[in-house]
Amino acid sequence: MSAIIVLTPVIIANWPAITAAVAGAASAMGLLVKESISQAVEEKQSNVERNVEVELSDSKVLMESMATDQEIVLTKGDIELRVKRDERGRCSVCAKGTGHSEAEMKQIAEEFTGKLTQCFVYDKVMRELKRKEFQVVNEEVMEDESIRIHVRRWVD
Amino acid sequence: MAQHEVEITISKTGEVKFHIKGAKGKSCMAYSKWLTGIIGKVKDRQLTSEYYEPDIKTRINLEQNLKTEE
Repeated sequence: MSAIIVLTPVIIANWPAITAAVAGAASAMGLLVKESISQAVEEKQSNVERNVEVELSDSKVLMESMATDQEIVLTKGDIELRVKRDERGRCSVCAKGTGHSEAEMKQIAEEFTGKLTQCFVYDKVMRELKRKEFQVVNEEVMEDESIRIHVRRWVD
Repeated sequence: MAQHEVEITISKTGEVKFHIKGAKGKSCMAYSKWLTGIIGKVKDRQLTSEYYEPDIKTRINLEQNLKTEE
């Protein structure tokens, strides 16, 4: 053993990279990509609607190739998640739905932001490992939903 | 040739744990710097005894020097 390092991710990316991670997280959680806000038709709900917003604290969405009103809308049943760039340039997830408590909505939003971060980090790590010519020995998804990757390379 | 291995665990919240094996001293430090650069902030770091061992090249040179002195 040489060293064990635990890192907290910082997400700095352009919108296409965020979109790719959102698609991965949505797929893992069984969410459907509805449409972008520019095409969305607002639906009036008669029941009590709750709205919870969770921000990815260490994130920065780069402005290049992104319009200010751009966001991704995901749905699962009566829950709607909106992923967008907020005024401060951070990535935020807003959960909206009827028939759920605020705590439930917050849990869903947090679960999604976690999965989004995991997908983003996975893509970035795999790209960098490939660039450094590491070979993947093993890769598996554990029971606690973590991803374990074992890589190796020979050096002079 | 030395074999360097890395075990990576990405938690469901995105936190990443790297376990670097086989790299010693400066090369281990280089991995640490590289990984921090691509991921983010260091939350915790544990250096093991192998970290403090000299690299293979350094060890060979030291052995050669000792033989020369004899």
